[in-house]
Amino acid sequence: MIFVRHINNYQKILVVGLLFVLFLVMLLATSKGSYVILFSDLLYENLTVLQSTVLFDIRLPRVLLAAFVGASLSLSGACLQGLFRNPLADPGLIGVSAGAALGATTFIVVGSNWLPNFLISPYLLPISSITGSALVIIVLFFITRGFGKEGITYLLLAGIAVNAFAGVGIGFLTYISDDSELRGLTFWTMGSFGGSNWSTIGIAMLVISVTSIWILKDGRKLDILQLGEAEALCLGIDIKKLRFNVIISSAIIVGISVSLSGMIGFVGLIVPHLVRMIGGVNHNYVISGSAITGATIMVLADLISRTLIKPAELPVGLITSAIGSPFFLYLIFRMRQK
Amino acid sequence: MLKNYTPLFIFFLLTSTLFGANRNLECNLANDPSNIVVAGGSITEILYFIGEENRIIGVDVTSNYPKETKSIPSIGYVRNLSVEGVLSLNPTLILGEDDMGPPIVVNQLRDVDVELKIIPEYQTIEGIIEKILCIASIIDSDKKVDKIINSDLLPIVDEINYLKVQSIIKNKKVMLILSIQGVSPIVAGSGTSGDAFIKMVGAQNIFDSFKGWKPVSEEAIIKENPDYIIIPSKDVHKNSDVKSITTNPIFKNTKAGIENNFIFEDTMAMLGFGPRTIKSALKVVKQLSK
Repeated sequence: MIFVRHINNYQKILVVGLLFVLFLVMLLATSKGSYVILFSDLLYENLTVLQSTVLFDIRLPRVLLAAFVGASLSLSGACLQGLFRNPLADPGLIGVSAGAALGATTFIVVGSNWLPNFLISPYLLPISSITGSALVIIVLFFITRGFGKEGITYLLLAGIAVNAFAGVGIGFLTYISDDSELRGLTFWTMGSFGGSNWSTIGIAMLVISVTSIWILKDGRKLDILQLGEAEALCLGIDIKKLRFNVIISSAIIVGISVSLSGMIGFVGLIVPHLVRMIGGVNHNYVISGSAITGATIMVLADLISRTLIKPAELPVGLITSAIGSPFFLYLIFRMRQK
Repeated sequence: MLKNYTPLFIFFLLTSTLFGANRNLECNLANDPSNIVVAGGSITEILYFIGEENRIIGVDVTSNYPKETKSIPSIGYVRNLSVEGVLSLNPTLILGEDDMGPPIVVNQLRDVDVELKIIPEYQTIEGIIEKILCIASIIDSDKKVDKIINSDLLPIVDEINYLKVQSIIKNKKVMLILSIQGVSPIVAGSGTSGDAFIKMVGAQNIFDSFKGWKPVSEEAIIKENPDYIIIPSKDVHKNSDVKSITTNPIFKNTKAGIENNFIFEDTMAMLGFGPRTIKSALKVVKQLSK
């Protein structure tokens, strides 16, 4: 198997361990919520119809969506950090999250009043958000195509410009929105897994899985790229193609994630670092480890978000940043002491 | 129907005395109410309601009812006004709602030589009528307005009170949703205008355990099990939307979903606390007592 090459035994054990933790966390998240469902009832098939609806139609899709979004944000963070050879790279940096956010904002403020009647409502927000990220992807595509092997820096700068431009759009829409739209916007930009249902997350899970496997095969090439772009070119890596693959697939999975969950910060940035600190830097390990750890953290964050102040909900983006930042500082502090 | 006016009359007497202090300050006749800039949707609505809209020369962006307000120059958002923008219209009087701001701009406006009146806000039926009377006395059209209130609003208020006494609305548990787009439903907690509206129709707000507008988890909605769900009609404009809401697993499994007790109502009409709110309240009370 291509994915287990270039991974040492310690890392293999680590990945299995992380998978086990993810499984436990998902089990915990599925068993807890505002609506009390006893594990014993599930075991002895004693559930009422209502309980099973809550469990299988509301809570389970939500936990799964959280896991997939966490995995895709962290995974694309790991790939982009490898590609840019920059520890600060994250999915927000290339502008795709901002594009998706602009799409969603446009729909929340303008779309609901102007769109024709034949469109189906529950899919509109994700579709409009994916359109926004797709536009950014197209722009990125033309930019990466134009440059040679030195294009990375320009790509980063383009990302900054795209972010700023999307910021203008979001700001303007915020300005013209009314009170209820404004509240919707505010909460959307802090992230939420509310409103998950099978029909929307089914497609998302499929696309995210396929794209993730597609990225994973480039792990070794990202390792070689760390030697430097010129060196990697001499060792036979097609940098332009690698760049294209990584950016487009990151853009796709991030666009889909943002469209279904809003803006969730910090996970894409810190999870790859965390995974590197506990196990090593080779990308086959970092990418898969990041996906699993990202899923675990996101499921946990969502569990906190929906149970901490029930019946109300805290935005999940607040929790990821609140847990993420001090922990990250602690890791940096420990590294200094070594 | 006439007999029902008596308690209302007493109530008016009471509220007039209670609010008397405020009315003395802010509801006195203005020096020159000919060119008015309005900051607050309900005030604009009231000026149109009492037929004094020709005095309006500028409105804020929350003044979006009736549609004709679109052609009036805009002074921006009610909580974020600019002194120059307001003064550039040369108003003789500025009427603001109590959330008019920012405070520094309000203070600057008080310092310049233009009369500024901030209309007191009480989010009840009586408070709305009080607000109309206050504006009427500022622009000196009390008599005309008394007539309009007597003919247009009091019969509605009467019917609301009648229905509230007749039925068991006070036991009905209601959830009022502000927005259902993209995130968990954002609902009215205590202290919100939504909470005040639910109290106005005489029902119980199911989510008064927390303060402010907050998103709630879908499971919590099923657990709290509302009898009625009020949904902003802005999020719904076609049959497919109504169906997607009524068959949504979150709502479908509540008592409201099982008995199809969904009330679609314009958010701005409900929560603006102008004359439309009283009409909205009657509509909702009718559905609650059916």
